[in-house]
Amino acid sequence: MRAPHRWRRLRRATACALAVVAAVAMSGCDAAQGGIATQEGIPEEIKLLGVRDQTGPVAYAGIGGARGGELAISEINRSGFLGDGVKLTIEEIDTAGSIETASAEMAQATADRTVHAIMGPTQGQQAATVAPMVERAQVPTIFTQAGSDGVVVNDYTYRATAPMASYYDLATEYLADKRLGDVSVLYNATFPTFAEIGKGSLPKQAEQHGLDIISSTPVQSTTQDFTTPVRSIAGEDPDAVVMLLTEPQSVTALTQLRQAGYDGQVMATSVQGGGNLTEAGKHGEGVIYPTDFSPALTSEKARDFVAAFQERFGQKPDVYAAEGYDGMWWLARAIKASGSASREGIKRGLQQVAKEGFDGAMGELTFEGNDMRVPGVLVRWNGTSEELVSRGGAS
Amino acid sequence: MIDWYFSHIVLIQSTFTTLLLALSVQVPLRAGVFSFAGVGCYGIGGYLAAIGMVHYGLSTATAILLAAVAGGAVAYALGLLIQRLTGLYLAMATVAFTLIISVLVVNGGDLTGGASGLFGALGMLDTGHLLAVVVVVVAALTFTELGPLGRRIEAVREDPELASAMGIDVARYRRATFAVSGMLGGLSGSMTVLLRSTVTPDDINFHLVVLALTIIIVGGSRSWIGALIGTVIFVWMPEVLAFVGEWEDVVYGVLVAAAAVYLPGGVTGAAVDGYRKYRRKRREAAASPPDAPPPQQAAAAVGGDS
Amino acid sequence: MAQHILNAVALGSVYLVFALGMALAWSTIGILNFAHGATFMFSAFTAHVITQQVALPMPAVVLIAVAAGALIATLTQVLAFGPIMRRATEHRAAELRILIGGIGVAAIPLAIAERVTASAPFGFRGSTYQAQVFEVFGLRMTTTVLVIVVAGIGIGVGVWRWLATSRQGLALRAIGVDSETASLMGVDRATLALGTMATSGALAGLAGALLTFQLGAIAPASGDQLLIKAFAIVVLGGLGSMGGVIVGAFVLAGAETFVLAMNQGTWVDAVSFGLIFLVLLLRPQGLFGRKEVRRT
Repeated sequence: MRAPHRWRRLRRATACALAVVAAVAMSGCDAAQGGIATQEGIPEEIKLLGVRDQTGPVAYAGIGGARGGELAISEINRSGFLGDGVKLTIEEIDTAGSIETASAEMAQATADRTVHAIMGPTQGQQAATVAPMVERAQVPTIFTQAGSDGVVVNDYTYRATAPMASYYDLATEYLADKRLGDVSVLYNATFPTFAEIGKGSLPKQAEQHGLDIISSTPVQSTTQDFTTPVRSIAGEDPDAVVMLLTEPQSVTALTQLRQAGYDGQVMATSVQGGGNLTEAGKHGEGVIYPTDFSPALTSEKARDFVAAFQERFGQKPDVYAAEGYDGMWWLARAIKASGSASREGIKRGLQQVAKEGFDGAMGELTFEGNDMRVPGVLVRWNGTSEELVSRGGAS
Repeated sequence: MIDWYFSHIVLIQSTFTTLLLALSVQVPLRAGVFSFAGVGCYGIGGYLAAIGMVHYGLSTATAILLAAVAGGAVAYALGLLIQRLTGLYLAMATVAFTLIISVLVVNGGDLTGGASGLFGALGMLDTGHLLAVVVVVVAALTFTELGPLGRRIEAVREDPELASAMGIDVARYRRATFAVSGMLGGLSGSMTVLLRSTVTPDDINFHLVVLALTIIIVGGSRSWIGALIGTVIFVWMPEVLAFVGEWEDVVYGVLVAAAAVYLPGGVTGAAVDGYRKYRRKRREAAASPPDAPPPQQAAAAVGGDS
Repeated sequence: MAQHILNAVALGSVYLVFALGMALAWSTIGILNFAHGATFMFSAFTAHVITQQVALPMPAVVLIAVAAGALIATLTQVLAFGPIMRRATEHRAAELRILIGGIGVAAIPLAIAERVTASAPFGFRGSTYQAQVFEVFGLRMTTTVLVIVVAGIGIGVGVWRWLATSRQGLALRAIGVDSETASLMGVDRATLALGTMATSGALAGLAGALLTFQLGAIAPASGDQLLIKAFAIVVLGGLGSMGGVIVGAFVLAGAETFVLAMNQGTWVDAVSFGLIFLVLLLRPQGLFGRKEVRRT
């Protein structure tokens, strides 16, 4: 691993270049506009940028994150959380599902000296590509989603989404509790998050809980028809099927699995949340999945968040909105904790809040380094909405 | 200006890397070879560079060189294998080659990082390096576009039978374009990945084929200038279209379709036509005597706009 | 084993209906329509939007999708491909521009559908149709599969025979072989092109409705995945041969099903594209293609 070495060298060189540029620009133009993001203290206006997908195939994640953040900002500003008259503002920039656009917009965002912090791209590879950039420019950036490796890699990258693998043992625990010992796994092996769980953490957790994985079937992201794999699975007649698939895939696989005559328990993922199973109709009923957030959560924070979100946007919040909301509150707490909205101040604050953890819409939030962890919750899709699954014997 | 440069550095750099990708499809096309092997070599180059840096600690220059050479070699071998194919059959075979590369890297285990790909392969590259590479490539390509070599390549494209009757070894020219296209693809892929620091199997996809093709048809397919114009248009379009917000893709679609309908020779073709018309007008105005040579002939002598 | 064969036949039938429309336009009037996948998706999307308002039976849903597909393809022909063909001096010059025109057109319905659905999967839950499961000789299948197989093979053979024997079919094939001479012999190219594109779009719409019934839901991006497969199927079978398209669709579906049945799901694309690569190596003009005659 000699790569990090090189990184550091480059980082230093670029940082110098950027410093020179900043100095030139500062002397060249009038700095009286205020909100210069390197000054200590808390200014009247704290400008943030959201750089994430608002269009394209995974737009829902960026849109959800932006809405959650918008709600949090309105609460923070209204309550005077950061002091009287202090206003957080955010501008959303669309990365349109493209890595090139994401890094181009990020380059512009980091070069803008009035930006205090950035809400980063939701798509994994966009995030991994911009991660070294925000470090070079020293702009603290909070990502939501962006579940792949290489995103949270330095002091300026933070993530307000717990990796699915970190709470997926809720699923294996449940199966063990219900004595659903024989499990078949159907997973999308070209989708990083699912590949990681399907090949890595799930077999381990299953072994710990005494589950027996009787078959494991990988498919591709391009797989559209599941007749063949689900026939084999139905033939094995396992106690439960763990299904790690993308949205349209899961609708198809569920429908075809039921048509193939399988009527046992199906365990899915939070990707199936937010009403993505609606199209599966009656075949989707009874599917259980672990998720980091559900509108069915009963904690006071969660209930307040759901009510406020519904009032503002006319629909129930999804996981992306909850992550955006808690991520924004993490930022506000960070500014308060360090007493400074400068980029360095926010960085210090984010780390401090992460050490202590806090209570958010997703529950008791803890952190591993700069990476969020959630308790997670097991929910059941009843055909129209999510309901909590009682934990049974498990504590 | 410096501020502008730094805030647009990514677009400037990806203009260069995308230009190389577009050229990797344009070079064979100019010799009448409808091959997308360059896009597959983009993937090979990108992965080789990332593997070299992450697993073996290669230097940036070595990684890029390795990627270019490997891309050229693989494409040449592919060219030998499928030299009997022509037209859309050749296009399909090379698209298949490209998509197979993407499946191989998914199943490559720790070496390729599987579905998550590789990250942390940040090369020591700046705009100056990219510019130098592009200038060398463009200079070499200009040489193949002018003079007797340019005419021979044109003959290979327009009429292979006639070309071989004139003593041109058509098969050799075709194989050479494969090698060049592979090298350009390898260069483009390795530099893109080393700038981004990440590579995933998703990076090698059909959309890249579509993008390269769109660039050279809209820009102009007969000269590197066309590829450059097309690259600038498509790399910078999202930036320019940002004001239409959520309807960006709709506007993009309309513009591409309109270009296909109204610009037969691409932007370059339209510019050349416009220039000729302008010259003709001027000449007509200057030399009003009726026995002046008809201007159409002069235009035809330049070589038409094919 | 028999079950796998049945599955392959069902998958192949879906591919067939989709690829057939593309092959029809491609091998007769020389239009390789890159917007075919978007037409397919948007037809299903149109039917989805309508079924959300009115509960319709299956035939009505299919009819709506077919009409939407025909309309989209006709518009594409009138606004993009027609003008390109009129302006081009020779067909070979127009070929690449038709590709690009299709790519541009395809971006528009895709962007609209992604915007409206926020890229979530959509289906025909609003329709009154419920798939029934039944067993014949120990083989399990649904009514949807039955409809698809009958429609796929019926339409496939129908189009193939029609092209081979009818007068219009002859005229179309004449254009495919030599459009200038065909024009001289009194074939009205523009009208035939419009009709062919409308038919091709209707087939895309049919495929859209049938596949959405079969899969339960599709996403806006689903059309693109099928497009590459259809491209592969037509080339595999041999450009210009409808019989080749039928064989190509089932060969591809068979190969994919085989790899899936072997539980090597991550290699599906490599095997199917590898197969195409091999076929092209052995038979450079596809399984049943005519040798490409280059006219200069």
